[in-house]
Amino acid sequence: MQFGLDDDQLELKHTVRAFLERHSTPAIVRRAAEHEDGFAASAWERLVGEMELTSLGIDSEHGGAGASFVEVGVALEELGRTLLPVPFLPTVVAAGAISDSPDGGVSGPLLERIAAGEIATVALSGPPPLATRVGDGITVRGSIDHVLDGDRAGVLVLWALLDGEPATLALELGTNGVEVSPVLTLDQTRRQATVMLADCPATALSSGPAGRGAYERARNVLAVAYAVEAVGTAARCLDLTVTYLRERVQFGRPIGSFQALKHRCADLYVSLEAARSAAYYAAWAVDGAPQELPVLGPLAQLVGIDALLQIAAEAIQLHGGIGFTWEHEAHLFFKRAKSTELLCGGRRELRRLVGEHAGIV
Amino acid sequence: MDLSYSPDDEALRAEVRDWLESNLQGAFGALRGTGGSGREHEAVELRREWERALGAGRWIGLGLPRESGGRGATLIQQVIFAEEYARADAPGRVNHMGEHLLAPTLVAFASEELQHRFLPGILRGEELWCQGYSEPGAGSDLAAVRTRARLAGGRWLIDGQKVWTSLAAHADWCFLVARTDPKSERHRGLSYLLVPMRQEAIEIRPIVQMTGTSEFSEVFFDGAWTAEDCIVGHPGDGWRVAMGTLGFERGVATLGQQIGFERELAHVIELARQTGAIEDPEIASRTIDAWAELRVMRYQAMRTLGSADAGPASVSKLLWANWHRRLGELAMDVRGPSAAILPGGPYELDREQALFLYSRADTIYAGSNEIQRNIIAERVLGLPRG
Repeated sequence: MQFGLDDDQLELKHTVRAFLERHSTPAIVRRAAEHEDGFAASAWERLVGEMELTSLGIDSEHGGAGASFVEVGVALEELGRTLLPVPFLPTVVAAGAISDSPDGGVSGPLLERIAAGEIATVALSGPPPLATRVGDGITVRGSIDHVLDGDRAGVLVLWALLDGEPATLALELGTNGVEVSPVLTLDQTRRQATVMLADCPATALSSGPAGRGAYERARNVLAVAYAVEAVGTAARCLDLTVTYLRERVQFGRPIGSFQALKHRCADLYVSLEAARSAAYYAAWAVDGAPQELPVLGPLAQLVGIDALLQIAAEAIQLHGGIGFTWEHEAHLFFKRAKSTELLCGGRRELRRLVGEHAGIV
Repeated sequence: MDLSYSPDDEALRAEVRDWLESNLQGAFGALRGTGGSGREHEAVELRREWERALGAGRWIGLGLPRESGGRGATLIQQVIFAEEYARADAPGRVNHMGEHLLAPTLVAFASEELQHRFLPGILRGEELWCQGYSEPGAGSDLAAVRTRARLAGGRWLIDGQKVWTSLAAHADWCFLVARTDPKSERHRGLSYLLVPMRQEAIEIRPIVQMTGTSEFSEVFFDGAWTAEDCIVGHPGDGWRVAMGTLGFERGVATLGQQIGFERELAHVIELARQTGAIEDPEIASRTIDAWAELRVMRYQAMRTLGSADAGPASVSKLLWANWHRRLGELAMDVRGPSAAILPGGPYELDREQALFLYSRADTIYAGSNEIQRNIIAERVLGLPRG
């Protein structure tokens, strides 16, 4: 029994962190976030090309590294630390949902495209659009809000109602019948778009009796991805805050020597550690104990988001006036925290899901 | 990451289960659920016998090296024992202090002779120990110890007072920290002594807690003695040895403790269903949080198992102590007004009342919440001392 990253996973973590220290500096993040595109294009090219990070979890047969979700989680956590505006999270979650499809004829070509660098995204929450069988094919109709990086992705993995049952489908965003409209976001480091589908052709990744299970798994993997990413974001935000408290002098001493501030930081650290444990366990369970995912998805997401919200809010308060400025990066963490919570359906909904799967309510 | 158990581990689990099943019956069967934190006063004599039965089964000191009389068990195997023990609802151990704190301390710091003298008594479950660290003026600030010991005629003579000593009245021996250099201050000049409890010059006065019961005592040393060689490490080494004692736990007990927590939580959930309290959205929300947090505590304990660092121990203590205290509050709220009435006199408590009151101690003993936060802030986060 060994809980924790093994040597190869630790090496991956260090490699990704070293890469991001060069290519995802606060200045790079800021420039991309404030640009109207909201996309760090050159960092993304290296991340996909040199580092081959988006193909980590894709099997080797389709051009990937065949790694487990733990490795994907390592990359998500490191990217979460820097807030780099790139579509990594939706791409790897989409790739995972495609990999889970029992239909290799559909999934194979899609995985090869993602392994070769194509951006993909997901729409797994909100009201499902309606899918209809037309001849041998399927078409989808509806409007989907909050599609991460929808204006940049080539492939969309979505849930829809097909014959009255949930199904996971894939469709081409560049095709006829699709209209993608980027929206302005509170969190400028993670962009969203609204996608209008007017009888757009789609293919089924999973439908029929297996449809609901596949959809729920995809949604839970997305939850775990958000959870590990949140741990990275929260960890760096707490690092920045603690560093500031060590350096900032008032009343002739570093303010971090005041017990009132120390104890708040200690409590934040406890929340972060708890969130990290839940996220790592859930990341392992994606491949290691998939039957536990229905409760682990919302559970890891709930504690991850709780920790991130607390830490990001306290980061602003503990930085004092400078933390309220546009110039300082504290607000980027704060906005990322709240937006992520809202995208996840809110803590109340997550708690309800945990209670339901735990058999309490 | 590999969360499976090896065949050896599974075999040990089966062995522990079998042994507990066949031994925790007859007279010992009545011990299920007795003892432990908050119930240390229960069935002490029978629990002493049970401790000897555990010793005869070689279940004491599992993690100690074979040459010291242990089984050289891995941390995972120790966890398996702790979990199965808790799952069987086996009684709280009367010699927790001897087995988990003193025995590894002896192995790490004591002379061969001292180990030969004291380890067998612990491993056979025959000699019970209590801990003499805290004093009226030395609670969180252990270095303020004022109990003195001086050498006279080949013996240490000890004067002073210890407090919050659990099971003092039943212990045969006490490991304590005393000031042996009268001119010393703070953590210098302290020594770690092993003192027999059954002597005229030691007086034990039970402390009545807010629960109306007594688990802890004040212990007065008025010229009490011990042999000159009953010292772990050299004179003046006491601080180093005492700090070492605090670092041996490494998360094993936490995982066992969580099995008991699961049982308590299941009871509260069941009660909330029976009374209909679960229909209240606020109660439901707190119950789900308690369930979720206990799960997370388990993942946290698994992830940090084996670490001797200050961080994980303090994080774990803050998590479980706060959790348990909130569970006590939740239990009372689930019960509603009936929890304000005692089941009997003169001050008998029911299960929820006992949990509610006892759990107030959790965030104080074994390093208060405030001390744990200081440790995290200074040793993990590197914030400067005030």
